[in-house]
Amino acid sequence: MKKALGLIVLGILSVTFLSCQRGTEQAGGAPRIALVLKTANNPFFIDMQKGAEEAAKKLGVTLIVQAAEREVDVEKQMQIIENLIQTRVAALCVTPSGSREIVPAIEKANRAGIPVVIVDTRVDAKTMSESKGKIATFIGSDNYEGGRLAGEYIAKKLGGKGKVAVLEGIPGHETGDSRLKGFREALKAAPGIEIVASQTANWERDQGFNVFQNILQSHPEIQAVFACSDLMALGAVEAIAAAKKTGQITVVGFDASDEARQAILKGTMDATVAQSPAMMGALAVENAYRLTRGEPVKDEFVVPIKLITKENAGATDAK
Amino acid sequence: MRPGPIARLPNFISHYGRQLGTLSGLLGLILVLWALTPHFLTISNLLNIAEQATIIAIVAAGMTFVIITGGIDLAVGSVLAFSGVVMASALLRGLPLPLALMIGLGVGLACGLVNGLLITVGRLPPFIATLGMMSVARGAALMFTEGRPISGFAEGFRSLATGEVLRVPAPVIIMIVVYVVAHFVLSRTKLGRYSYAIGGNEEAALLSGINVRLYKTMVYGIAGMLSGLAAILLTARLNSAQPIAGMSYELDAIAATVIGGTSLLGGEGTIAGTLIGALIMAVLRNGLNLLSVSSFFQQVVIGSVIILAVLIDMGLKRRGK
Repeated sequence: MKKALGLIVLGILSVTFLSCQRGTEQAGGAPRIALVLKTANNPFFIDMQKGAEEAAKKLGVTLIVQAAEREVDVEKQMQIIENLIQTRVAALCVTPSGSREIVPAIEKANRAGIPVVIVDTRVDAKTMSESKGKIATFIGSDNYEGGRLAGEYIAKKLGGKGKVAVLEGIPGHETGDSRLKGFREALKAAPGIEIVASQTANWERDQGFNVFQNILQSHPEIQAVFACSDLMALGAVEAIAAAKKTGQITVVGFDASDEARQAILKGTMDATVAQSPAMMGALAVENAYRLTRGEPVKDEFVVPIKLITKENAGATDAK
Repeated sequence: MRPGPIARLPNFISHYGRQLGTLSGLLGLILVLWALTPHFLTISNLLNIAEQATIIAIVAAGMTFVIITGGIDLAVGSVLAFSGVVMASALLRGLPLPLALMIGLGVGLACGLVNGLLITVGRLPPFIATLGMMSVARGAALMFTEGRPISGFAEGFRSLATGEVLRVPAPVIIMIVVYVVAHFVLSRTKLGRYSYAIGGNEEAALLSGINVRLYKTMVYGIAGMLSGLAAILLTARLNSAQPIAGMSYELDAIAATVIGGTSLLGGEGTIAGTLIGALIMAVLRNGLNLLSVSSFFQQVVIGSVIILAVLIDMGLKRRGK
């Protein structure tokens, strides 16, 4: 009986091993590149993973994709990176779960001589400069510009006058913070527009629903909402439907996920900002590959963004 | 005549049998991973695993005390976050390091004592009292920081996580000290013996003159203080104190405790078992990463191991009776 636990664990791991072809160790040849995502259950990161996998196939590199269970779990992400360092991957691509908390992990990779490519979320510049951490390159969207586009769209749609709510991401995330800054900057040009509520829904859909429902209770006169991600925007769409106000409130999201595009075509959402996660994933792997061959890479790649409205929501070229 | 060591062996096995069960589980796991990947059984990876286990292990040590008294503490993760941000802001305000650390431990201890008083004096079920504290401490951490992480500490503080003695990371040494002390307290002191007595039969403990209220409150205080200690180490490790840190750590700590053979019904359990439980969780996560198992399937494996470990443990217990 005492051995039973060992035996059963052995059984589980054997099944795990067999069911996972990528578990086989590479005996030299193709370099092993790791992509650590914030989470593997957000459409944005799934698209990024797809782009990365396609690029890896083209280049003939072995791609390892790992993610923590929860998007905000910086400790788990650090553990994953530490574990990947142990397997001596040739290069690490990381979408940081925390702009500051990622820095100790970068230092560890540096010490092991593994180049780090940061994707999507910028590392906090101050924390980086205080430490001895070094990244090879950054690949991401201009989130500030994206927020600005969203702000301009809402200002135009409301005719320069009205009350607006904002659903923020988790404070301290560079992506969400930059989007907010851009959004507020754009609204400065439209002094008739007032942000009456600005609260976090922690990047989550169900919280987007609850938080916006509460905002609607206290500010029923709201005419538009900007959510820093599509998941939160889609939550707000449900809250608007529950309040029987569909079509009366302008909803703008961020990410241009498939579901958000559908919602825009249906008319329950008005606009979203398209990033190109697949392109980010591909660029990450391509640059990581160059690094493993000792080739130079640019310091930064800005992936194009654009506003998606009913006119172009059906097209998939932005992906 | 004293029986020889061989003759004592069956006795030894029945006494420590359950720990041997979990220990052989851990060893089995290590053997399997050693066979599957060359990166597993290296000194640097084993130290890496030990370091990764520390935070949950320290929280789980407190959880073991609580569960042995027949209670549960769902607030440990939130208390960790709250102690962490308060200590971090004390550091940034230029308080001396030892004082800031005391503040971190103190906040944890205070939250734990409030839990204890709600349960003993307020007569709330532990599940409800600590569920409430879980939300209060989390909200307090968020209010205190306005939702933002606190970072930018001096090198001296960070060395709590980055320091090494003979290649062994400082957090691992701290964890070992915690476990040695906790083992001593649980097996050699009044507090330890009374904890088992309270968990075994609270009424009987009360009738035999044990100050149940006092000892139960102390046990929740210990759990809170150890969350504060874990907060110090986590903050040093990430170089940042996050108000959303430690989410679902209570579940990991409960899992480590239960895998280690502590009964959720109370009255039974050992601190060494909990350490093995925490190590099993850390080895499992590490191994699954090394093998590049998909992150979704990892959750299935981890959950299955928890269930199996407890199933086997219960089987052993029934046999022992």
